[in-house]
Amino acid sequence: MSHWLLTETLHLSEALLLAEGLPGWREVLLCRSFWAILLGGLAVWLLLPNRIAYGKTLGGVLGIIGAGLFAADWPLLGNWTDQGVFWLLALITIGAAASTICSRSPVYSAIWFALSILGTAGLFFYNGAQFLGVATVVVYAGAIVVTFLFVIMLAQPAGHSDYDRITWGWFPKTFSVLTAAVFVGLLTMLLGNLKTAAEAPVEPAALAAAAERLEQPGGVLNSAHMANVGKHLFTEHLISVELAGTLLLAALVGAVAMAIQGKPRLATQIEEALR
Amino acid sequence: MLEILIKSAVLIGGIMTAAAYFVLLERRMAAWVQDRIGPSRVGAPLSLLGLKDLRLWGLGQPAADGLKMIMKEEYTPSHVDRRLYVVAPIVILAAAIATYAVIPFGSLLPPMEIGGEKVGPIQLTVAPGVDVGIIYVFALSSIAVYGVILGGWASNNKYSFLGGLRSSAQLIAYELPLGLGILGVVLASGSLNLERIMAAQAAQGWYAILQPLGFVVFVVAAFAEAARLPFDLPECEQELIGGYHTEYAGMKLLLFLVAEFLHMITASFLIVILFLGGWHFPLITGEADATIISWPVALARLLVLHGKIFLVIVFFMWVRWSWPRFRFDQLMNLAWKIMLPLGIVNFVAVAVLEEIRHSYGPDESTWAWSLGIIAASWVVFAAAWLLTSVANPLVTDNRPRRDLAPLEVDSPL
Repeated sequence: MSHWLLTETLHLSEALLLAEGLPGWREVLLCRSFWAILLGGLAVWLLLPNRIAYGKTLGGVLGIIGAGLFAADWPLLGNWTDQGVFWLLALITIGAAASTICSRSPVYSAIWFALSILGTAGLFFYNGAQFLGVATVVVYAGAIVVTFLFVIMLAQPAGHSDYDRITWGWFPKTFSVLTAAVFVGLLTMLLGNLKTAAEAPVEPAALAAAAERLEQPGGVLNSAHMANVGKHLFTEHLISVELAGTLLLAALVGAVAMAIQGKPRLATQIEEALR
Repeated sequence: MLEILIKSAVLIGGIMTAAAYFVLLERRMAAWVQDRIGPSRVGAPLSLLGLKDLRLWGLGQPAADGLKMIMKEEYTPSHVDRRLYVVAPIVILAAAIATYAVIPFGSLLPPMEIGGEKVGPIQLTVAPGVDVGIIYVFALSSIAVYGVILGGWASNNKYSFLGGLRSSAQLIAYELPLGLGILGVVLASGSLNLERIMAAQAAQGWYAILQPLGFVVFVVAAFAEAARLPFDLPECEQELIGGYHTEYAGMKLLLFLVAEFLHMITASFLIVILFLGGWHFPLITGEADATIISWPVALARLLVLHGKIFLVIVFFMWVRWSWPRFRFDQLMNLAWKIMLPLGIVNFVAVAVLEEIRHSYGPDESTWAWSLGIIAASWVVFAAAWLLTSVANPLVTDNRPRRDLAPLEVDSPL
C-alpha cells in the first residue's frame, strides 16, 4: 500500500514539475518554431481540396514561409554543402508528404508518397545509415507503394475516386489539421525545447568529433556497418525477427487460402463437366 | 570529388556508347540468325564533303539511329495524363543509370602521378565501399517498376495499361528468385559489397561452379527482370502492339528503349560480378587482396571483366533469337512453382555446406575440401532439378487441352 502511495506521489510531483516547466505565453510567441507550425498547419488546410480562390497558391506560399521559419530555428551545420543537401532532402520529404494528402487523384497521392519515401531514404543515407536507407526503398517504395498503385490503377482507371467528389465539410478537415499541428508542435518542443533565440552554428571540431565517433566499431559509418546490423538483429532481437518471419508466413498462407477459396480442384472440375 | 565526377562521366559515357553499339550488335546478330545481312551501310558520310562515303561495316548506324530518334516528331496524344506521361521515361532511365553508382567497372588502378600530384590507388567504382551495394541495386531495380507502371497508366490506352500490369507482375514475381539467388552468394562471401564479393570469388572459386543452382536461378530471374526474350511479355507485339510504350514517340521512346538496354547490361554486370568471378581469371589477375597492383595486372583485370560481360551480353542476344516467348501463365508457373523452390533449396544447401565447412573443415581450404563441396553442390543441383521437373513439368504444349474442352463455353463437344 505504501509502495503504491509512493509511486502515486512521485507521479504527482512529476506532473507538477512538468506544469512548472511549461513555457509562458511570451516565450511561446517569441518562438519561431511555433509560428512555423502554425503557418504550416494553415498551409496544409489551404492546400487540401477546397473552393477558396487562390487557396492552393496561398497555401504553397505559407508553407514555404513556414518551412523557412522552421529551418531558421535549428543550428547551422558547419558546412554549407552538407546543410544544402540536408535542406533539399528535407524539403522533398515534407513537400511530397504534404502533396500526398493534398492530391485529388489517388494515383498522384501514391506517387507523391513514393517520392516522400525516397526523400526519407536519402536522409538516412545522408546520415550514414545505409542499410536503413536501402531497406526503406526496397520495402516501402519497391513493394508497398507499388502494390497500392497496382490496386488503385485497377480499381479506378479514371483517376478520381468517388470519395474525392464528396466533401466532408469543414469540420473533419480542420480538426485533422489541428491535431497534426499540435502533435508536431509537442514533439518539436519535447525534442528541441522552446527556442527564443537562434542557436550558434555547430563548431567544425564538434562535427569532426561526432564523425569520428560514428566511425568507431558499432557506429553507422564503420566499414563493418552491415555486419554489425546483422549481428545485432540476430543476437539481441532474434525473437522479434523470428516472430516477424512467422507473421509474414502466416499472412502468405492466408493469402493463398483466400486465393484458392471456393475453387474446386481441376480434376473435380473436369469430372463435373463430363458428368 | 573530382575523382568521383570523372569516374561517373567515364561510366555514363561508356555505358551509353556501349548501349548504342550493342543495339548494332544485336541487329547484326538478328540478321545473322535470320540469314540476312543487317545494317552494314552507314559509315562516315564523307559525301557531305564531296568525297566518297565510307561504309565502315555499318559502324555509323548507332549515330544515325540516335539522330533519327532525336529529329522525329515528338507526338503527345491528347488523351494522356500529361505530367505522368513525361515523368515515366525519366524515372526509368534515372533508376537504370543510378544503379551504376555501386557497380564496379574494374578493380583498381595503381598509384600514379598527375600534374606532379600523387593519386593513390583508384578504385574503379563510382561510390566505392558502399556496404549495402547489392541491396542498393535491388532498391533501384524496384524503382524502375514505377516507370513501367506509370508509362502504361499515363498513356490511357488499354494495350499500354495491360503491358504495364504484366510487366509489374512479372518484375515483382521474379524479384523473389533473384533475391534468393543472391542470398547464397552473400552467405558464401560474407559481404553485400560487390567489390568484396569479387575478391571472395578470387579466393574461393567462382560461385557459378560452387553454387550451380543459384547461378541458374539468378540467370533466369535476371533475364526476366531485364524483360528480355523469352520474358518480354510487357511489350509483345502480337498481343499488345508495343506494350507500355505504345503511345510514346521520339526522344521519350528512346529513353525507354535505352533504359531497357541498360537493364540488360546491368544484369550482365551482376551475373559476371556475382557468379563468374568478376575480374578474376586464374594465373593472370594477381593476388586477390592486394591493395596495390601493377599496370599490367590492372589492365588484365579490366580486360577480363569486360570480356566476360561482353560474352554474357552476347549470350543474352543469342537467347533472344533462339527462344520463343513464354505465355503469361507459363511465366508465372516458372517463377512461383519452379524458380522459387529451386532458390530456396539453393539457399538451404549453401547454408548447410558453409556450416559444415565452418565446423569441421580445416582453417586453410584444401583441394579435397573444395572439390568435396563442389561435388556436393552439383549433386544437390541435379537432384533439385530432377525433382522440380518431375513434380512441376512446364507445360509448353499450347494446343487446346482436350480434357478441358467441355468446359469451354463455345465447346464443339
